[in-house]
Amino acid sequence: MSARIAVPVFPGTNSEDETLRLLRDCGGDAELVHWSQASQMAQFDAFVLSGGFAYEDRIRAGAIAAHDRMMDYVIEATGSGKLVFGICNGAQILLEAGLVPGTGPIRRPTAAFTRNGPAPHFICRHVYMKLAIEPARCAITAALPQDALVPAWAAHAEGRLAATPEHLSEIAAGGHLAFIYANANGIVDPAAIPNGSALGCAGLVNREGNVLAIMPHPERDAWNFNHLDRREGEDVLAPSGGSILFHSFIKALSS
Amino acid sequence: MELHAFDAAWSEHCSYKSSRRFLRNLPAGGARVLLGPGEDAGILHLGTHDGERYAIVVAHESHNHPSQVVPFEGAATGIGGIVRDVLCMGAEVVAVADPLRFGRCDDLASHQSSVARGVVDGIGAYGNAIGVPNVAGDVYFERGFDENCLVNVVALGILNEKNVIHSYAPKGAEGWQIVLVGKATDPSGFGGASFSSLTLDARDAELNKGAVQVPDPFLKNVLMRASYRVFALLRERKVPAAFKDLGAGGVVGCSAEITAHGGYGARIELDKVNVAVEGMPPEVIAVGETQERMLWVVPPDFVPELLRVYNEEFGLPDVACNARAAVIGEVTAQQRYVLEYRGRVVMDVESEFLTGSIHDDLPYTEKIYHGAAAQELPAVDLEGIFPRVLAHRDVCSREPLYRHYDAVVRGCTVLPRGAADAGVLAPVPGSRLGVALAVAGNPRYGRIDPAYAAEQAVLEAMRRVVAVGAHPIGLTDCLNFGNPRKAEQYGAFVAAVEALARAATELDLPFVSGNVSLYNETSAGNAIPSSPIVACIGSIDDIANVVTPGFKAPGSALLWVGNRELVAGGSVLAELLGVKGTLPNIEYDAERAALAIVRDAIARGVLRACRVVADGGMLTAVARLAFDALAAGRKIGAEIDFGNPLCEAGGFVCEIAAGSGMDVTGTLQIGATIDGPELIVNGTRFDIERLHEIWSQPLAQLYP
Repeated sequence: MSARIAVPVFPGTNSEDETLRLLRDCGGDAELVHWSQASQMAQFDAFVLSGGFAYEDRIRAGAIAAHDRMMDYVIEATGSGKLVFGICNGAQILLEAGLVPGTGPIRRPTAAFTRNGPAPHFICRHVYMKLAIEPARCAITAALPQDALVPAWAAHAEGRLAATPEHLSEIAAGGHLAFIYANANGIVDPAAIPNGSALGCAGLVNREGNVLAIMPHPERDAWNFNHLDRREGEDVLAPSGGSILFHSFIKALSS
Repeated sequence: MELHAFDAAWSEHCSYKSSRRFLRNLPAGGARVLLGPGEDAGILHLGTHDGERYAIVVAHESHNHPSQVVPFEGAATGIGGIVRDVLCMGAEVVAVADPLRFGRCDDLASHQSSVARGVVDGIGAYGNAIGVPNVAGDVYFERGFDENCLVNVVALGILNEKNVIHSYAPKGAEGWQIVLVGKATDPSGFGGASFSSLTLDARDAELNKGAVQVPDPFLKNVLMRASYRVFALLRERKVPAAFKDLGAGGVVGCSAEITAHGGYGARIELDKVNVAVEGMPPEVIAVGETQERMLWVVPPDFVPELLRVYNEEFGLPDVACNARAAVIGEVTAQQRYVLEYRGRVVMDVESEFLTGSIHDDLPYTEKIYHGAAAQELPAVDLEGIFPRVLAHRDVCSREPLYRHYDAVVRGCTVLPRGAADAGVLAPVPGSRLGVALAVAGNPRYGRIDPAYAAEQAVLEAMRRVVAVGAHPIGLTDCLNFGNPRKAEQYGAFVAAVEALARAATELDLPFVSGNVSLYNETSAGNAIPSSPIVACIGSIDDIANVVTPGFKAPGSALLWVGNRELVAGGSVLAELLGVKGTLPNIEYDAERAALAIVRDAIARGVLRACRVVADGGMLTAVARLAFDALAAGRKIGAEIDFGNPLCEAGGFVCEIAAGSGMDVTGTLQIGATIDGPELIVNGTRFDIERLHEIWSQPLAQLYP
């Protein structure tokens, strides 16, 4: 039996449908789990937390959702080695829950994706995330090539990694920096960072390598029709681009 | 009670009392039209996928006065309202667009600048949170809007044609229950409809703030998803129902219309309306315009399920204080609209009288707005003036503004905001069907001639949709004008409506939805520039054929297809030169011929890139195609030899593959694409990267 993936929906989540669609298009057995049915979460083998504004991003993005009952199941799953993948608001929730970088106690975050800089506004911009770890360091990225460049859209108001200098060194030294922003040619360039994120961070992984949190949305540049620069003859409905990360996630579940 | 109910129901905003007799003349029918004006939104047939017929639901509104008084909340509730209009037809909301008109923002500390920022923040905050991509829109900054900004909003939804839910109680609805869903009614937005129908006066600024509603996109996000769940249940169980947005006129406005338009009356118990604070007077509960509320009319046996979905499965009371679905009354056979409060009848009127009887036949002035007098253009120094055109506030990059909007949520975006002349979506997952959306309405024309501006708005919106490879199928309009009680200002409105009808008839396109916003004038009594703003919807059978942005290769032929008159009336060039110029002619035979050429090029697969000629003229369109290529990493320029390239009469700039075999290439050709980022125009050379810098910068300070 294939691994079953839950896409939890918190009040305020808004990217559940396309996340679910891409998981399925990549061969995953996925379904939505609504916050009023939190107890169903126990039946799943993996979790993909999608984008949005859970609980209106009150206090700080992800801060309330991290204490939701649904997260009890995710926290427990993390401990038993199940795969957990958070995108945008999902990533913010994983940081607030202390699951990534995972260097402190549960629900006592040591880092946060917080208000963008220098301009403190929501930004919607096409970006590239470059894999900054050995692919096998994280189960979810294991099937990606070395230095993989994943196209995605940054679409957030709070995506700037912030932490104390000590915690930032810990993130860098501990191999937690999974993805960094780069330009279209894969070159690391400050101009490619959309939000002032420390270390140019686009994504973080925990020590065990089973929890990945990324700010940009690969699922919004994931089918050929999403690409502005389509080539002739391609099937416009076929997954491509950002879907490589989803393919890698599904592959990790079936191995 | 009657005073407040009729004040709202008979306001210009609700009743269209001085506009309806003219709006009737707009063409609204056709093979594509499933539903024309009259309900919450219009519906157009999009295409067929897997044997199922899909339709686009579209609504277009203004939120001008609220946005001027409280920019963030005013604009946010504009998005909130338009999204409900589309949702209430049973559709999934897939896109929004925002045509905006602000005053001069040269001084970043001015009130105009704070309005311009607050509006954009409000639109972003709301649309981003509910997860609906913003794919189209435009913005102009102009003296005439210094005291009265315009915030128009358009929303699109997708539905299977079998699943349309109407805004009126269906046959056999006697005894059905009326269920109010959403936010607890509070005192915000009391008197909103009548406020929208007044001329703004700075002295009343504080007072007017209470008439603006408070947005809650977080609650709306949940309400939308809960409503999608209800739609699915209604389909499964084949239960008929009516669903309508609470907008102007609140509970009374909505419940009276949803029942009266089905030929019924209603009995409403105001005590059953869930309220945010105790002790509100009944008239506030009755006509207050609290946001995020909708009204269902359903058979009694579906009520428990409806309440369960909203109140338990989606837990509305836990999402926002006292938000819920609640039965507030029932549909009655007698055509009386009855309000009860604390066991007493507080209003009992004929339903039709409240919802349909008001007309206001005001006098208006007819006049000729512009003559045909030709005025020669002085010779231009292209090297000096083209960079100034690109940096002009009507031409420069809008990216600093629209990057605050989520253009890609839902994962269905084919062409996001700014990438091309229209936004394109693939709204049916797994299908090749596409929909294009564009808006237009040039205030430089509006200042000169309201009728001319209206015709040009239709033409430009339609061209934009054609330029991305779509087939135009319908239009919406928002008519933003001055005071109908001043004969001259009212005359401008009347002339514009006639012109819209003429253009739509000539182009065989229906207006399926629209809105009128009057009383847009300053404290000195001057009207805003006439602002007929038009949106065009296009259908795409296969998104593989969408025209992608930017020049593709050097050596292609560049064509200017369409009206190539070298006159400059109403252009950016004329403004910079300080001349009046002659307005370009509008000739529909020529327009139809131009469309045929572009569509032929698309059908043959030889159209590599395309942009419309609009603000900033033909050369600006050429430069934009080079900028788009640059963004994709292709350094391709152009060499052009053709008259005054800054004239903006209309039409399209097309990149046509070399050796295309199109026999018009010779006569319409203005130049060719070249290798390298250089623009050579009538012998003058420009560096494209430098031009791009000039074009990108101007709005970056207003929208950091």
